[in-house]
Amino acid sequence: MWRNEYEASGVELADGAQVVVAGGPGYYPGSRTSSPSFSFDVTSLRLAGEGDLLAQLAELRRKLDAEGLFTPQKTLPRPALPRCIGVVTGESGKARDDVLAGLRRRGWAGRLVWAFAPVQDRHAAPRITQALQDLAALEEVEVIVVARGGGSLADLFAFCDETLCRTVALLRTPVIASVGHHTDTTLIDDVAAVSCSTPTHAAETAVPTHVGEAREAMRRAAGRLAHHGRRAVLDRARHLAQLSRAPAEVVARHRARLHQMLREIRAGARRRGIDERRALTATQALVLSRKAAAAAGPERTSRTSRLQGLTAALVAHDPERVLERGYAVVDDGDGNVLTSAEAARAAERVRLLFGDGHVHARIEE
Amino acid sequence: MSTPERTYESAVERLEEIIRRLDSGDAGLRETLDLVKEGRTLVEFCAAELDAVGRGLEELRLDELVARLEAGAQAGGPTSGAA
Repeated sequence: MWRNEYEASGVELADGAQVVVAGGPGYYPGSRTSSPSFSFDVTSLRLAGEGDLLAQLAELRRKLDAEGLFTPQKTLPRPALPRCIGVVTGESGKARDDVLAGLRRRGWAGRLVWAFAPVQDRHAAPRITQALQDLAALEEVEVIVVARGGGSLADLFAFCDETLCRTVALLRTPVIASVGHHTDTTLIDDVAAVSCSTPTHAAETAVPTHVGEAREAMRRAAGRLAHHGRRAVLDRARHLAQLSRAPAEVVARHRARLHQMLREIRAGARRRGIDERRALTATQALVLSRKAAAAAGPERTSRTSRLQGLTAALVAHDPERVLERGYAVVDDGDGNVLTSAEAARAAERVRLLFGDGHVHARIEE
Repeated sequence: MSTPERTYESAVERLEEIIRRLDSGDAGLRETLDLVKEGRTLVEFCAAELDAVGRGLEELRLDELVARLEAGAQAGGPTSGAA
């Protein structure tokens, strides 16, 4: 094989490698310095084993897909919280611990049915198939996990077995596969309900519900329900109480308004009464004065004339006027009028009051 | 009308629906009380389901379980045969 063709093939050869080659015979007739030779001239090269397996796998995949066997598992309902999980795995493999770790992470601690089976020799596929059938036959098993750690394609080839894959496709229990590393793709990954990259992830997928979080959610839901239950009655009772108070409040409001109106009416009436009375009194007074005038008419005239007569008499008897006419009043000087000669003699000193003043005099005899 | 078997997921779904309806405030008194009653039943059911997977991991081997079931079937065999 020429170097450039070997490098183009991308194959890394090692001692003991089995290969499948294609090429043809090469003949060299020889020369004066070299012997003739016959050789096999390799034009293409691939590793034996894996390449064949891949071709077989591709063919089987195409066949199962054409039969529609990749779909049935994917249409199965998967429980959110399975009580019982079946697990097919190797008894001593690390996958077992990984499955347990995944379930622990979900807080799940239900019933786990282990179906241990060889996972890589030529007995593996029929034993795994049997385990799957047995688990699916148990009614309580709600979901099955098939787990195996990484390995070469030849190691994982049991999970590409046609019988096994057909069995998985037709099981009524959902199967979650986690075979090999995420770079490996086996046929069981195609037919299973879900294909996961690791056994831990497969276990978590088998229990979609986180038990602790779900408990918390249930506590919250119970709280919401209790709240709504209480509020449904309390809110309505409060509303009813408000409604029942409302008519009384309306009546009270109307009553207060009526009282106010009544007070205003009374106040108005009182004002009007006073005005009316005041008007009435004035009228009465006028009437009375007219009546009085009417009643007193003739008498007043006579009384007036009598009064005028009396006034004239009074004026006539006014001492001042008498004194003006030439009369004098005699008193003792202290204002005691002396009305007789005897009294004048007895007084000896007298005062004579004239109209324009007075003089003092002495009685001589 | 047959009632479909209640599952944890259907119970949770219905419970969420009930709480959404109650939170909306559109439900009347009778409906609210009925929903609360139904919701409580669902919470109890879900709590029982959660308890069932929270009591402690029970690990069984398939071959042991099958043997136990077969023994049970054999013990019950004559009875069922007679029936």
